[in-house]
Amino acid sequence: MGASEYEVREGLFYSKEHEWLKVEKGQVRVGITDYAQDKLGDVVYVELPVVGRKVKQIGEPKNRDMELGAVESVKAVSTVYSPISGTVKEVNSTLQERPEIINTSPYDEGWICVVVPEDLDKEIKTLMDAKAYSEYLKNLG
Amino acid sequence: METDIGCEMMKTLHLASIHRSLGAQFIEFAGWEMPLSYSSLAEEHLAVRQAVGLFDVSHMGEFRVSGREALNFLQSVTTNDVSKLEVLGSQYSAVTNERGGTKDDILIYRLAEDDFIVVCNASNVEKIGSWFAEKNRYNAKIENITMTTTLFALQGPKAISTLQRLTDFDLTQIKRFKAAWVDVAGIKALVSRTGYTGEDGVELFLFDEPISDPRRAEKLWKAILEAGRDYGIKPCGLGARDTLRLEAGLCLYGNELTEEISPLEARIDFAVKLDKGDFIGREALLEQKKTGLKKIRIGLRMLEPGIPRQGYEILKDGEKIGWVSSGTFSPLLKVGIAMGYAPPEIKTGEIVSIKIHGRERGAMVVGWPFYNPDQYGFKRK
Repeated sequence: MGASEYEVREGLFYSKEHEWLKVEKGQVRVGITDYAQDKLGDVVYVELPVVGRKVKQIGEPKNRDMELGAVESVKAVSTVYSPISGTVKEVNSTLQERPEIINTSPYDEGWICVVVPEDLDKEIKTLMDAKAYSEYLKNLG
Repeated sequence: METDIGCEMMKTLHLASIHRSLGAQFIEFAGWEMPLSYSSLAEEHLAVRQAVGLFDVSHMGEFRVSGREALNFLQSVTTNDVSKLEVLGSQYSAVTNERGGTKDDILIYRLAEDDFIVVCNASNVEKIGSWFAEKNRYNAKIENITMTTTLFALQGPKAISTLQRLTDFDLTQIKRFKAAWVDVAGIKALVSRTGYTGEDGVELFLFDEPISDPRRAEKLWKAILEAGRDYGIKPCGLGARDTLRLEAGLCLYGNELTEEISPLEARIDFAVKLDKGDFIGREALLEQKKTGLKKIRIGLRMLEPGIPRQGYEILKDGEKIGWVSSGTFSPLLKVGIAMGYAPPEIKTGEIVSIKIHGRERGAMVVGWPFYNPDQYGFKRK
């Protein structure tokens, strides 16, 4: 499957670890991209973050403070890193019963959590827009 | 062919291009480029539990051990009693080090009185090759025939009836752990009633298959997929192979078996015959039996959400008591299952916890297979 066959949605922001972020009023919604779900295969379990958890924006080296849980297929565990620093406000508990919606609807039904950001204006500049993320996927081959 | 030993080049299966055309995703495993899955791991898994699936497992290592002293040699380096093996029978066994730790788990086939095939794990071919060479006081002839051997596994409740469509030989005559030379789709194969899924089925060996011209292998692969079409046969990759063997409670070398884990600790005692005469590791195993085992293999079934994975800690009352050696989400039972090691005092039915993503999650100690054997597996009713 070529990079162009993955959906990259306009208006969202993307991390190098294939998380997406959608800016909403005073908060951001976070999930994993179409590319990420395809690489992982059938999602069978999602470890959601705890509401109230404080997270740091992903950076190098990665550490636990940047984690927003994990998405797991039968064969693999994929840690979800936070594309933004802030506090977890809400989690998508539908994923506990129907983890497969991450595969079928990664940008809509399959969102993972809502975060109240600490410094959105500054941190969002470190993320990619749709165009840049599409380019990034192409270069991954 | 020895060209790949000690060199970085990845070994490819005879049928790599066929696997690619079937849509396989590949992974590197033990230096081989192997199909991980073709469609979906869970679908492949369920095809084997409910009907039939076909695996190309030609990465497995094969040694041909022959000569007048072949039996004596094999007796000296393996734990099971090779003298009990009839011609065209096969036997699960282990190769142990002097400390009783496991160097590999193997299948031995007896082709003739003094002619054997040892099937070992792909990850251990070189290690076992040099171990056998080093311990060969008997002058047995040992040939590594891995690169010219094709091995397919046809597994599932419909495996035998699938294969029966390609041969006049009455396959029901081949009992479990027996084999026969069978003409399948016009190709002579060694058909063995064995497998690594817990299901009924066979493994098919084609010997002397040159990698430059794998015509017979291609023809056999295609004929089997065609014969099983109305059963919904699926080509299956290493992903499903791993989840199937885990559900069946079968050991994987590197996980449940290592140089630091004895076959007794792994609870494959049925493959250890301490009274057969001397073999490497026997003294250490006798000592373990006398003084008691320090750890044993257990099965675990999650009572809470979460998927146990290799290396996770097993805890009891907050204290670490062991580790997960293999874990997955069972595609059949739809729950996290695992095998692991814990002190021998642990009892079936006991509740422990597994540390998953930093949180303790409850699990029950269970036996294997993890599925109901009346419903699934080769003993199904």
